[in-house]
Amino acid sequence: MNSPPPSLEDRLGASLLAVLLLITLVNVVVRYFTDQSFAWTEEISCILMLLLAMAGSATALVRDTHIRVEYFFERGSAQRQHRLALLSALSNALLFALMGVLSAQMAWDEFRYDETSPAIGVPKWWYTVWLPIFCGVVCARAVQRFQRLRGSA
Amino acid sequence: MIGALLFVSFVVLMLAGVPIGVALGLGGVLAIGLANMDSAHFGLLAVPQNFYASLTKYPLLALPMFVLVGSIFDRSGVAQRLVNFAVAIIGRGPGMLPVVAIMVAMFLGGISGSGPANAAAVGGVMIAAMARAGYPSAFSASVIGAAAATDILIPPSIALIVYSVLVPGASVPALFAAGMVPGILAGLALILPTIWLSRRHGLGQGEASQDRPPFWASMREAFWGLMAPFLILGGMRMGWFTPTEAAAVAVAYGLFVGMFVHRTIKWGDLFPIFKEAAEISAVILLIIGLASIFAYSVNTLSIIDPITQAILQTGLSSTGALLLLVALLLVVGMFLDGVSIFLIFVPLVMPLMRAYQWDPVWFGILLTMMVAVGQFTPPMAVNLMVSCKMAGVSMEQTFPWVWWLVLAMTISMLAVLFFPPLALWLPQYLGY
Repeated sequence: MNSPPPSLEDRLGASLLAVLLLITLVNVVVRYFTDQSFAWTEEISCILMLLLAMAGSATALVRDTHIRVEYFFERGSAQRQHRLALLSALSNALLFALMGVLSAQMAWDEFRYDETSPAIGVPKWWYTVWLPIFCGVVCARAVQRFQRLRGSA
Repeated sequence: MIGALLFVSFVVLMLAGVPIGVALGLGGVLAIGLANMDSAHFGLLAVPQNFYASLTKYPLLALPMFVLVGSIFDRSGVAQRLVNFAVAIIGRGPGMLPVVAIMVAMFLGGISGSGPANAAAVGGVMIAAMARAGYPSAFSASVIGAAAATDILIPPSIALIVYSVLVPGASVPALFAAGMVPGILAGLALILPTIWLSRRHGLGQGEASQDRPPFWASMREAFWGLMAPFLILGGMRMGWFTPTEAAAVAVAYGLFVGMFVHRTIKWGDLFPIFKEAAEISAVILLIIGLASIFAYSVNTLSIIDPITQAILQTGLSSTGALLLLVALLLVVGMFLDGVSIFLIFVPLVMPLMRAYQWDPVWFGILLTMMVAVGQFTPPMAVNLMVSCKMAGVSMEQTFPWVWWLVLAMTISMLAVLFFPPLALWLPQYLGY
């Protein structure tokens, strides 16, 4: 097996999933012994799941495993296939660049207006600030893919 | 006008092979921006807000957990032992191994929640065994691809978790209970054409001469796998865990069995397993997040209500509307995967569901059965793709076989359509 070394996003995604698993299991055990449940772990788990989605989106972009309609994508001349692959990478880059800017604005608003999270009551921007950062990572991976594709033409 | 642009831009991008989530997201962003030209930031702050809100729902956590369950049981050595036990029960003979494959896929459906993971687990064990017994690889791939489709009906099910997040009034436990009988029905419906095809074409002649494993020994070996559905479904039923927790417990159980009992999972395998499950989950989660932008745009433009009203005014009967929907989704299901179908179509048909007063749980099971059929209907058939890859055949080679199975499961779906108690009796009996 000559697979390339795992990227940072790979390690992050796998670790986030493992942490989510542990939090859920600990919740079961704690509730069994103490009849208490930790509402605050739900809020943490939700944020970790969001980050898992973003980290995994970046690795799926690199390995090109995102779900698409392959009917036209894999047919036609080599030139058309190449152009569609370029369009795909470009659309990814565009969407996540937009999402990055907009989510940065969202986090900034939450910071300015001192919004707090519903369950724990910590500043909400502590959570949302990660969204623009990860959008940036996914966008960078998309740009990287676009450049590699163009280089291979 | 903007509504038309929304759908056209989405469809064009999607057909061009842009990832489905990205096509939904870009279509949504475009339509929201155009509809709010005068507002601050063109109303686009709704984009990250919807994305954030749709992915921070706690019940959704069951999704990555059940994906992980699939990745682990895929490697836990449980499938091989279940196959041996099933052969010990029903014996050897022409047409028997494919039946074993279907039964084991259905049983694994009670552990994992995703069709492709199931096809990989069963295919890894059965394809070589069926080839040795004289079944053509294309036939084996068809049977396994179809049998694995029962996975998303038989609880637990990732598709039903997604549906539950989308539809208020359809809880995960109720949907899980409702999927049980239709899932078994769909599996049984596959067994008939499988036996008939084997007999008619004289397949599996080499099978009768192979050994039959001893009953008690193979049952002891299969014990750990046999207990898993009882732990998962029983634990939920007894109120020990929520669906998410049941999945986490199943992960722990699968890891224990795979690492210490069957010893098929090594410490070094853990990272690849978690990495794979994280990526598969993320691919689905991303579509969920981006589809929420699309759905927000559809709702704020109020496109759907006029269409729903128009349909109602034609005086189309409830059954007629359902059959039209079935026909539409069976076609769409050939090109789109199940989760995408749910995310795109459920928000669109919700007003129709309310207008005709369809039971949301029953309707969810019906949609899932259509998606299940789509999972092995060429050309866009996720399960069949997995089983064909493992069998080393092209999807075209399965055509002579797989259509019979598509027909059989479609008939079982129509049975649930015309006789709703098939889905609704069990959740009512259990009091959900």
